[in-house]
Amino acid sequence: MALNTRALGNVSVLDLQGRFDAHIAPAVIEWYGRLPTAQVVVNLAGVTFMDSSALAALTGGMKRCRQRGGDMRLYALQQPVQVIFELTRMYRAFEIFATEAEAVASFTR
Amino acid sequence: MAYADYALWKTTPIADEPYLSIVIPAYNEEVRIVPTIGAIASHVAGMGFPWELIIADDGSRDQTVALVKDLGFANLRLLCAETNGGKGSAVRRGILAARGRYILFDDADNSTPIEELDKLLPALEQQGYDIAVGSRAAGGAEEAHRTLLRRTLSGGLRLMVHHLFRIGVRDTQCGFKLFTRAAAHRLYAAQTIDGFSFDLEILYLAARLGYRVAEVPVTWIDAPGSKVDTTREVQRFLRDLLRIKWNDLRGVYARA
Repeated sequence: MALNTRALGNVSVLDLQGRFDAHIAPAVIEWYGRLPTAQVVVNLAGVTFMDSSALAALTGGMKRCRQRGGDMRLYALQQPVQVIFELTRMYRAFEIFATEAEAVASFTR
Repeated sequence: MAYADYALWKTTPIADEPYLSIVIPAYNEEVRIVPTIGAIASHVAGMGFPWELIIADDGSRDQTVALVKDLGFANLRLLCAETNGGKGSAVRRGILAARGRYILFDDADNSTPIEELDKLLPALEQQGYDIAVGSRAAGGAEEAHRTLLRRTLSGGLRLMVHHLFRIGVRDTQCGFKLFTRAAAHRLYAAQTIDGFSFDLEILYLAARLGYRVAEVPVTWIDAPGSKVDTTREVQRFLRDLLRIKWNDLRGVYARA
């Protein structure tokens, strides 16, 4: 599992690759704690599987962003992750976009 | 694969005999079972054959059964047990209920990604093996997050199993095994061990009955939250080794 972070203006971007599970979730949660902004976009294009720890990490991150006046957006869910979101009803909690540009632009609507 | 394949699989009962049955034993898996089912359904529905998924619950006291029922998948069968009989008993119930031409036993934590199925199927479909065993010990396997203790114990047990039991498979315990239906039904009908070591008994029987077994290297990720208590399970494993030998000496397996 690879985790990279970058900034696009006021938006912090988290790029994840591979299997997003309980091994990587603590690193993601720790990253939230260091964020300079409350606007976060998570790139799931390379994620092949997510377990409940990962889902909890995303939900926790979203709540944290909202408490600080921002939000979290997700984009580029691959089909296995899309199905997992559907079965766990997680798609109700997040705004999900096809591309990074759409996800970032959603903060300026 | 197209999402449409998955959508069709979950809503439309298959009319023919399944080409593949996937059996997942589950005990108190409310946290892990739904993402695992999602990953499996997403991948296998796109493989182009009819298949069924069997969740063999083992007397869970959490929300596992309710969560699985709530999915309402047309080709998912949920087998319930009133009491916790051990992982081996759950796998046996699932395997004996499976109707597929091939039957995969897979763990509920998705520690071997379902994509690894693509490596096991050709051994049975094209190479004439009766069983393909996912292996963390075969050349080319990838293991992640496995503790030194578990690696050391596994290595020691592998040597013992190989030399005392004449089982050629180096990794007997990986929860990712594919069988022909005939082999699976014959072997699991003869199974006597319901605990952690049931895999070993199945492979011992397979060797005894002359089934051809392929050991296929797979990727395996030690999933946090494993219910395996290493020390306790090693003790049980050693006890079960003796039990298997004793069973054989008493002729218990002669009827298999």
